[in-house]
Amino acid sequence: MPVDSRRLQGPESAFSYTLLEKKDANAEESILSADLQKMLIDSNHVRKDKRKPTDARPLFLRTGIISQAKGSAYIEQGNTKLVCGVYGPREVQKKSDFRLNGQLFCEFKFAPFSCQKRRSHQQDNEELVLSGLLREALEAAVCLHHFPKAQVEVNIMVIENDGSPLAAALTCASLALASASIPMYDLVIGAAVRQLPKLLLLDPTKDEEWQPKLNHDENNSNLTVGFMPSMQQICAYVHEGVSNPEELEQMLKIVTEYCLKVQPVVQLCLKETVEKMLASEGENNDAE
Amino acid sequence: MSIAPQLLRGPSLMAEILLSEAEKAFIHHGDDLRCDGRTRLDYRPIILETGLVSNASGSSRLRLANSDVLVGVKVELASPLSEKPLEGRLEFFVDCSANATPEFEGRGGEDLANEICRFLQMSYMSGDTINLSELSVLAGQQCWVLYVDILILECGGNLYDTVSLAVKSALYTTQIPSIKVATMDGDQPELELSEDPYDTKRLNTQNVPCLVTLMKIGNHYLVDPTPEEECCSSSGVVVAVSGSKKITAVRKIGSGSLHPESLVSMLKTASEVGAVVNKILMKKLLEEETAGKTQKVGFMR
Amino acid sequence: MSGTELLSDQGLRIDGRKPNELRRIRCSLGIFAQADGSAYLEQGNTKVLAAVYGPHEIRGSKSKALHDKAFVNCQYSTATFSMGERKRRPRGDRKSTEMSTHLEETFAAAIRTELYPRSQIDIFVEVLQADGGNYTTCVNAAMMALVDAGVPLKDTVVSCTASLVKDTPLVDVNHVEQSGGSPELVVSILPHSGEIVYMSLTQRFHIDHLSKVLDTAIKGCKDIGVILKEIMKGHLTKLDTSLQAS
Repeated sequence: MPVDSRRLQGPESAFSYTLLEKKDANAEESILSADLQKMLIDSNHVRKDKRKPTDARPLFLRTGIISQAKGSAYIEQGNTKLVCGVYGPREVQKKSDFRLNGQLFCEFKFAPFSCQKRRSHQQDNEELVLSGLLREALEAAVCLHHFPKAQVEVNIMVIENDGSPLAAALTCASLALASASIPMYDLVIGAAVRQLPKLLLLDPTKDEEWQPKLNHDENNSNLTVGFMPSMQQICAYVHEGVSNPEELEQMLKIVTEYCLKVQPVVQLCLKETVEKMLASEGENNDAE
Repeated sequence: MSIAPQLLRGPSLMAEILLSEAEKAFIHHGDDLRCDGRTRLDYRPIILETGLVSNASGSSRLRLANSDVLVGVKVELASPLSEKPLEGRLEFFVDCSANATPEFEGRGGEDLANEICRFLQMSYMSGDTINLSELSVLAGQQCWVLYVDILILECGGNLYDTVSLAVKSALYTTQIPSIKVATMDGDQPELELSEDPYDTKRLNTQNVPCLVTLMKIGNHYLVDPTPEEECCSSSGVVVAVSGSKKITAVRKIGSGSLHPESLVSMLKTASEVGAVVNKILMKKLLEEETAGKTQKVGFMR
Repeated sequence: MSGTELLSDQGLRIDGRKPNELRRIRCSLGIFAQADGSAYLEQGNTKVLAAVYGPHEIRGSKSKALHDKAFVNCQYSTATFSMGERKRRPRGDRKSTEMSTHLEETFAAAIRTELYPRSQIDIFVEVLQADGGNYTTCVNAAMMALVDAGVPLKDTVVSCTASLVKDTPLVDVNHVEQSGGSPELVVSILPHSGEIVYMSLTQRFHIDHLSKVLDTAIKGCKDIGVILKEIMKGHLTKLDTSLQAS
């Protein structure tokens, strides 16, 4: 039966004031790819936030920020901030879903205030798809046969979205899974790259991300990859926009190189987590 | 007998496919020859017919071996999105009919439907594929919305490709009525629909993408997988290839992983295959159109 | 639309049929490879696909199982593009749910369910194009799919509609006649025993007319039954010859 899913049952006549900002709509629509490049990068190849094209944003990682969860992690990639909580393994709730291997359940959610436009508290289509992508990526990394008939839940909450949320979510989720002592083949590192006709921008911000627009018939796209560095395997690959296979190869190379750089950082964070855990266990033992 | 790992397409769908060890070994390690006599880069035979649904502005039915899809496009007037006042839009809706498998009953097929729907949306989004400004009627006030409704009647593997070919054919035949802004009555413009039902325009679908699924099995990859092959494979890619041989969207499917090198080679093959598929489809659609009105066969075989 | 237009002075209906004339029926069986039985049925411009799965083990919760007979499960859904106006959801609305229940009741009466205790038979119908008499076409299509699946039946089920315009009963009404405000009587019968398994009436007419309209509908059912039986025979002979050839 149809149920009104809105919490606020008012007319939906409100719209963002940003649409009223003075701008020449025609001009914006007819921006060619070349001009777009000029908007995103200055003549010295420096981006708006003072990065070089192949520079990523500063990364901040921390584990154990949700005390009730089995494992959790927080990631800040520039202004993109998200939290991941991992629960389980526990018994599968629905008996009909019985499977010999363990199962992963992923929920990807943007906080209502995380994007420029307000998000609904319910998962929308985009969030459902991101959840699916996250699950498919993590399933390749987690040793599912180690916990038969059980399920592990991975919850992602995006607090602030400033571009490349899926990439950040992949790194964050694999860190959270590891801190929850879920057996994995390898860590998953996420990374994104934006393609402009003659330039690649690593780790794009919201403004730099590819948007579906008219007249962008030239090579112009966005790629998000989940990479397992030690195994040399790609477990997530999402590309939107127009490209040639040769350019995709180039993009993939840049992204995997970046992932290899990030891997030791994530490992270090994990090492600290384990050390802290051991230290606190030692204290507990002493107290007894 | 062992039950094949449940991997891709709706897990429960796969549970019904039983494969012996010998069959699995053949699929995994066989030479460039598949169970049905194809090589790795061959498609199965395709049956295509357009204009079957009279209540739709454009329609097509495509059957690729046992995969059966019916697509109806309905054209409606609506107000454009506030972010994009100068464009019309395409709305995809996928319905997995319970006719395909009892698992799809009720809301059972929704996950699969959403997945396909979202990927179609993704691959149609870039400006290279369809010119959405053609669908604008009155800037900021009225535009055409094309509701592309996809009904999956049977699943015999390779759904993404089947759906995309059917959608492209349906859009190719879609007739959009001519409409004129007649008078401005104060602020309210009056729209005047052409009285001649044949006074219509069509979309340029030359660059509309076709999806190509490549599944990785053993050390190789293949196009147009059968359900048996799908359940022997743990990963693959779906690639949207536009008429101009450009890639407009890619995503990895399945719960496995891929080596960067094999991924790159898969993307290259996909763009080649996609270009050929696109060309053949356009040729066939043109042939059907110029052949004129013949008796529709539809489901009466 | 007024009644005079539905029936011309010459006694012809809006689509040129005589009052007691059925629409063209076309049917093909076994169109899907994966279903146990399937059928495609056209009655005029109403086009329906039906698929039958089973009898098989009860799916989902075992509490649905009946200890002495098979459980008949039906789903009625309508393609979003099947009507003049686009439908937002193919199923799950109140009307579709009601139709599903009616189908379940009808076929529970016709199938020899006692042969398959603790099992389930699924019947799925999909309206591809709607032009009046959707429910009756679905019943007829589902019956053909059951025959194709080889499910034992007590009797075939056939269904037909009838209406009343200017005191003249019309058989097998189409969409224009149905939405024109005239009453619609839907009847499903078991033609051998002559039993009525489902009957419903929209709008109203004087009770004196009931027997006349009902007779028309039953006559329509029987005529459809004859046509469908011929199609069934044709299909089975074809199967037989292809079996012998191989």
